[in-house]
Amino acid sequence: MNKISVTFYVNGKKEVLEVTPKERLLDTLRDQLKLKSVKEGCDVGECGACTVILNGQAVHSCLVLTAQLDGDEVYTTESLEKDGLLDPLQQAFIDHQAVQCGFCTPGILMSAKALLNKNPNPTREEIKTAIEGNLCRCTGYEQIIQAIESVSEKKLSSR
Amino acid sequence: MIEYEFLKAKYLGNALKILDSYKNVKLLAGGTDILVDIHKKSKRLGDFNYILDISNIEELKYIEETSQTVEIGPLCTHTMLIESELISNMYPFLVTAAKTIGSPQIRNRGTVGGNISNASPAADLVPPLIALKTQLELSSVEGKRFVPLEKYIVGPYKTSQNPNELITKIIIPKIDKEYFGVFLKIGRRRAVNIARLNLAILAKVKQNIIEDIRIVPGSATPYPVRFTNLEQEIIGKRIDQIILEKITPKISEEMISITGERWSTPYKKPALEALFKRGMESIFAVFNN
Ligand SMILES: Cc1cc2nc3c(=O)[nH]c(=O)nc-3n(C[C@H](O)[C@H](O)[C@H](O)COP(=O)(O)OP(=O)(O)OC[C@H]3O[C@@H](n4cnc5c(N)ncnc54)[C@H](O)[C@@H]3O)c2cc1C
Ligand code: FES
Ligand code: FES
Repeated sequence: MNKISVTFYVNGKKEVLEVTPKERLLDTLRDQLKLKSVKEGCDVGECGACTVILNGQAVHSCLVLTAQLDGDEVYTTESLEKDGLLDPLQQAFIDHQAVQCGFCTPGILMSAKALLNKNPNPTREEIKTAIEGNLCRCTGYEQIIQAIESVSEKKLSSR
Repeated sequence: MIEYEFLKAKYLGNALKILDSYKNVKLLAGGTDILVDIHKKSKRLGDFNYILDISNIEELKYIEETSQTVEIGPLCTHTMLIESELISNMYPFLVTAAKTIGSPQIRNRGTVGGNISNASPAADLVPPLIALKTQLELSSVEGKRFVPLEKYIVGPYKTSQNPNELITKIIIPKIDKEYFGVFLKIGRRRAVNIARLNLAILAKVKQNIIEDIRIVPGSATPYPVRFTNLEQEIIGKRIDQIILEKITPKISEEMISITGERWSTPYKKPALEALFKRGMESIFAVFNN
């Protein structure tokens, strides 16, 4: 098996790594970079627990080979907290009790963040579409949708 | 264990040379089919020694208009298709189909070329693209050739692509404004919607007469094909001459004439008929106004 050298950016920091042909972005983030927010669920693109933001878009890190990356930008949930302060989206998840076991939460945060970055005032339908690839066994989604709605620009400025 | 060496190309020229000089190469685009198959050790993958990553070939990511056609680069993602104004204006039912695929994560990564080339009987873009008489440009070091999508897919998960070729262009003819397309789908679950059945209908109606119709179900047959017998029954008729109750059983008759009776037939027969009826009703609704 050949080793491939890749350069890409993770949470704003440049990484130059050696990877194997089979290493998925999920493996690299968790094992080489110790970013444990990225969860391994189904491994086949169905649960969304491994969702990260790649070049501005939500993708499943279990379906990307790290060797495919070439200067790309990856963001994980670790990037949300700044100087010890939670991102408003994270705080909203706590305030709305949108977290129970928490296994799905980092993936949903990344799906929601990708949506809000593009569209700061999403409709309820747009929120539902954005998280349709993220399974949550615990919450029933209502609290998650409310949490995301609460940090739309309109809601924040009316507070 | 599946073992392979990883190769990548940033330019089409390199990819063609690699395909020509290495044996048993598997192309990798968005990976949403292949990486699942690798994980599941699927037999569908066949034998391969190399993976050639083409996902960074920028020259294969475009949507362009020519005088007669719209040309799509094979590395366009489903999201690019959905966000393209050109595609939304020209072929809205293709956007409808793209929107039903998987989830945002899958649509952001999965490509049009991958959906076609994987040749799944359930691939959602294939029925509307066949209805649109799509042509594919296949390239190799020897040059280019053009194949209708209908001839490119030759069996479930089987294509007529040579080992040294790849899809470099997806060419859709422009259609008259009298054409109206519908795409319908029954899926197992919204988030992971590997279609159990889908259906594309493209009809041209002028002064209430159906001048042309193309009917392509997906997952109903081993690979999507036009149901030409049914099409012939309808072409030339006035909308008010068509009695849907009479015509709908013909779609399942044509399906069974291709597949024979199977374990899934008792489910697919009424489901396909219902999809077809709904599709025709929405076409009639548009032209009755
Ligand atoms: C959870 C989940 C849900 C899904 N839901 C749907 C759905 O609802 N509808 C649907 O239709 N599909 C669905 N899919 C399947 C898949 O996402 C699509 O078929 C996608 O378009 C494949 O594109 P890709 O770029 O990811 O393909 P890849 O996995 O990269 O490649 C697929 C095949 O195409 C070949 N290939 C790729 N590009 C080219 C090219 N330019 N020339 C020649 N050969 C090429 C590869 O060698 C491979 O054989 C789903 C997949 C998952 C994991
Ligand atoms: S682990 Fe990637 S989608 Fe489930
Ligand atoms: S909080 Fe447990 S799966 Fe979502």
